[in-house]
Amino acid sequence: MGELSLLSNGVNPVLLVVVPLALAFAVPLIGFVSKKIIKYIPVVAFLFNLIVALLLIPSVLKQPIVVKIGGFAPPFCINLVAGPIGILFSALIALAGLLVSIYALNYIREGPQEKYHILYLLLLTGATGVVLTGDIFNLFVFFEILCISSYALVAYLGNKAGIESSIKYLIQGSVGSSLLLLGIGLLYGQFGTLNMADIANQIHSASSPSIFVPMVLMITGLGVEAAIFPLNAWLPDAHSSAPSSISAILSGIAIEVGLYAVIRVLFTIFDASNFLMFFVFLGVLTLLIGEMCAFSQKNIKRMLAYSSIGQIGLIVFAFSIANTYGVTGGFFQLISHTLGKGLLFLAAGYMIYRSGSMDISTFEGMGKRMPLTSLFFTVGAFSIVGLPPFIGFPSKFMIVRAALSTGELLFTILIGIVLLGTVIEGAYFFRVVQVIYFKKGNGNPERKKAPISGLISMFIFVILILVIGVYPNLITKILNSAASELLNRIDYIRSVLG
Amino acid sequence: MTLYLMAFFLFLVGLYGAVTKKDIIKIILSIGIMGYSVNLFLILIAYRTGAIYPILSKIEDLGIPMVDPLPQALVLTSIVIELGITALLAALAIRIYEKYKTFDITKVRRLKG
Repeated sequence: MGELSLLSNGVNPVLLVVVPLALAFAVPLIGFVSKKIIKYIPVVAFLFNLIVALLLIPSVLKQPIVVKIGGFAPPFCINLVAGPIGILFSALIALAGLLVSIYALNYIREGPQEKYHILYLLLLTGATGVVLTGDIFNLFVFFEILCISSYALVAYLGNKAGIESSIKYLIQGSVGSSLLLLGIGLLYGQFGTLNMADIANQIHSASSPSIFVPMVLMITGLGVEAAIFPLNAWLPDAHSSAPSSISAILSGIAIEVGLYAVIRVLFTIFDASNFLMFFVFLGVLTLLIGEMCAFSQKNIKRMLAYSSIGQIGLIVFAFSIANTYGVTGGFFQLISHTLGKGLLFLAAGYMIYRSGSMDISTFEGMGKRMPLTSLFFTVGAFSIVGLPPFIGFPSKFMIVRAALSTGELLFTILIGIVLLGTVIEGAYFFRVVQVIYFKKGNGNPERKKAPISGLISMFIFVILILVIGVYPNLITKILNSAASELLNRIDYIRSVLG
Repeated sequence: MTLYLMAFFLFLVGLYGAVTKKDIIKIILSIGIMGYSVNLFLILIAYRTGAIYPILSKIEDLGIPMVDPLPQALVLTSIVIELGITALLAALAIRIYEKYKTFDITKVRRLKG
């Protein structure tokens, strides 16, 4: 294997996909030996992935690693491209996967647990595959692995709400994936290749109407999972009906991965700089609609779900600015949303478990009953709103700086609207925090804690939010090279095709 | 070209059904039609007039053009994925019938706002 010598310290990025996938199908076999150790398998898998991803970061920053599966040279093989974006996302997926699986050790007690852990592993395998693959049909396959396991996990509890939202999600998602496959078919018909870099290389040789149709089809198909307005009708139902650990993954990873696919298709394959203005408005519209719907919610999980739509709008806006600051800010906001929203859903999970209802008004006096969980929830809320010293502050600050650095009046006005959205966001999050701390509950004020595994995983989220919030320089290097990978498509094409 | 348009028309038939029908079984069938039309489209892309199947068994076949084998492999994968989606949809439809005693999707509306 000649290419293995290129890999620093012998770590192959393909392990990031293979190990969780193999462990997912090993779960039933291990279940024959002992039912008790099944729930530790996701923890092991994502700990492994996190270590591999972190080991790969130094060499990836120098040069993207292209894995040629089967030994054929691109464009003839299915290849994995572990560039800065791919490794950044894999590390994020592994981190969130690890923390949420630690949380789930005690949280998932009912239902078919074996199936939960299989689907959970498959969901995150699909997500890792999407961000690493360099082949457009392979992207579709991994995307379907991600989607199908999330449809099934939304219905995990088997109650009326879960099944209803799962079938809504499934119908919209399968229409989206048909559109995506149609777009891929059109691209293959024109260029005779499925390699993303090869298509990107030839894209300007085709006439623009014949490019426009597959682009619209693919963006629409991927946009369903990325929850870009008007394709996000499924999201509030699905995110609020799933178990809280799954809501955290759906909100923190699944829609982000959908968004990754959208920007990869837009920037790298189609080089669609002419259409970015459209996405600027789409992003602002998504943001405003999400925040305004979230403001009127009484159900905590629906509120968080609508807030995710708002955050996705902000990220789409940041990417569509398409200068270095904007794209870096977009990636930063992605990380900040994963950490913040993950923490919020996990904390809300145990608060719902204790109060027995998702209604915000039943959280009165929660600050006394569950002091630690309430504190963690508050940290997550403040971080999403963008208060210093949490991670949400530097990420939002970077987006504002990006919009102002364009020097155009339009972007100045739009960033004003975005900040207005942040004010609405602040209003509804502070309302929840006020209910938690400053209203006296009429129930018994006995103190109950979340189980220790839940507290540990939430505590690590809090530490990360604080540390990156105070020292954003820790991750600026990889964010900058991720941004330059997205903006310099010629370098991407050259590094894959050689 | 006509064939491509007809495959696309079939896709629109499926999309229309998936969007407008109220019966879950009809929605499942419409989604199936959508999937088949995409598969048909992929096979049409691979088609070459007068070409043979892409298996080289006789030496005389060497000069004759072959149909493109790659979309056929894609269709096999996509059929498997559609099988998964259809099975999941059917399972959820059974669950909905157990809970609500109906297949009418407009009656299944608990989540709003």
